[in-house]
Amino acid sequence: MARTALLGRLTWRLARVAAIRRETPRCTTLVLEVPGWSGHRPGQHVDVRLTAEDGYQAERSYSIASAPDGEQVELTVERIDDGEVSPYLVDELHAGDQLELRGPVGGYFVWQPDLGGPLLLVAGGSGVVPLMAMLRHRANQRGTVPTRLLYSSRTAADILYRDELQRLAAADPAVRVTHALTRAQPPGWDGYARRIDAAMLREVSWPPAERPLVYVCGPTRLVEAVATDLVELGHDPARIKTERFGPTGA
Amino acid sequence: MDDRDLRLDGNAVAGLLAEVFAVEPTVSWTNCASCGASNQIGALLAYVHGMGAVLRCPGCNQALLRLGRAPGRVWLDLRGMRWLQVEVETG
Amino acid sequence: MVGGFVSRGFRGRRRGGREGAADPDRLPPGQYAEAGFPVLTAGPTPRIEATAYRFRIEGLVRHPHQWSLDELRALPGSTFSGDIHCVTKWSKLDTSFGGVSVDTLLDQVEPLPHATHVVAFSYGGYTTNLPLDDVRGGRAWLVWEHEGAPLPPEHGGPARLLVPHLYLWKSAKWVAGLRLLDHDEPGFWETLGYHRRGDPWQEQRYWGD
Repeated sequence: MARTALLGRLTWRLARVAAIRRETPRCTTLVLEVPGWSGHRPGQHVDVRLTAEDGYQAERSYSIASAPDGEQVELTVERIDDGEVSPYLVDELHAGDQLELRGPVGGYFVWQPDLGGPLLLVAGGSGVVPLMAMLRHRANQRGTVPTRLLYSSRTAADILYRDELQRLAAADPAVRVTHALTRAQPPGWDGYARRIDAAMLREVSWPPAERPLVYVCGPTRLVEAVATDLVELGHDPARIKTERFGPTGA
Repeated sequence: MDDRDLRLDGNAVAGLLAEVFAVEPTVSWTNCASCGASNQIGALLAYVHGMGAVLRCPGCNQALLRLGRAPGRVWLDLRGMRWLQVEVETG
Repeated sequence: MVGGFVSRGFRGRRRGGREGAADPDRLPPGQYAEAGFPVLTAGPTPRIEATAYRFRIEGLVRHPHQWSLDELRALPGSTFSGDIHCVTKWSKLDTSFGGVSVDTLLDQVEPLPHATHVVAFSYGGYTTNLPLDDVRGGRAWLVWEHEGAPLPPEHGGPARLLVPHLYLWKSAKWVAGLRLLDHDEPGFWETLGYHRRGDPWQEQRYWGD
């Protein structure tokens, strides 16, 4: 059984921005080096804190996008237009800057291969970030758990990690990735062209008798609707874990 | 925008609680003093803002954990819980 | 703080030039001007039909009374125009709320001489405590309008208490009534470390301030 206790209380520490990678028009990945990082579990997040010269502070939580990898931690941040923290992280930070963070935290919303499956991952927008950490870790571990990702985005340009997801699915018959585009679809689109609903979940998911482990992440409204639909389809609520991101749109 | 957009999961206060407890708090089990339902902290409904946080029972909305925060201090009220189960090192 | 670490180039949203060219004297210590009206909530938004809404005053009063919204609207109205201050450091300047002065309501119920404090209690279970003097003398309102429109549910509609000279957590949303007491009875946030009175000008944010 994985050890759940931390050694001593968690405190803030400084990470260094090693690289910045633009993913989509709205989202950017920060590649961080965190001295003393003792690893994390896929699905966990960090709290990031910004401090202005006069002491004003703002804090937000960001899911870790990367699989455990030494002292390197990647965060994929969606730029919220009238946000306070994300525009700074996306527009202002340079490689070489430092960033204060606390973590990893959130042992509840975690998946590792030893938890089994089958595994159903449902993402709305940037909610795919912690689920990507799970998929990347599964690939690193040469996992064999049958896994399905249902991922809703506004347009094709907004799909995070699109090529990587395609490669993962192509390389592993046990991984299936299904996209839903809610606002606009490119010509010849063969994925879903609407918001996630019960009918879509029934088509994509395993039947309840297979007892999948389910992780749902994204805007609060989407997460609650999906979780409700899954329970109404007969899935066990005890096997559904949610991570609500709050009111940001997808 | 209302609470239905704003509410989060107990997981969202993992960092804040981890500064208080010496263990990963979100996997700890709680029992609601009002309706008797058992849930992990990560499964509670979380209302979080600068004054603090309130974690509520997903079944009956009772406030199980109320947290007030100030610079350098955190106040905890666990009266809404009948009990909290925390894993500790064995042996 | 990690040894006084400062995030290079971070100023925070509020720094895009002081909204409305705020006179610094209008901001209590530690506050910044916010053009919006942030929603802070500790629980589910109560959904109360306007026709079902009731406000009552009870406790140490000669004539406990309950009003419907129609009855409240029939009373001589009163508007507050000015600034509100949240303990989470934002202040909203030059806003307005419409309703009735709490003095009008207290005149009707006649507080007993030994009443010294009130507890404001709300639909959904929220409570906050105040000295009785802080809801008298033209300093407190029961309001159902914000900037000319009906107060939306996320900001406390159908009606909330408004006590703008104290931090906004004292202005109980979805207020169901006031109970007059001869002692102070800490409410929801006050039992969690927040200040019993909450005067922003003395920066009374927390217990011990």
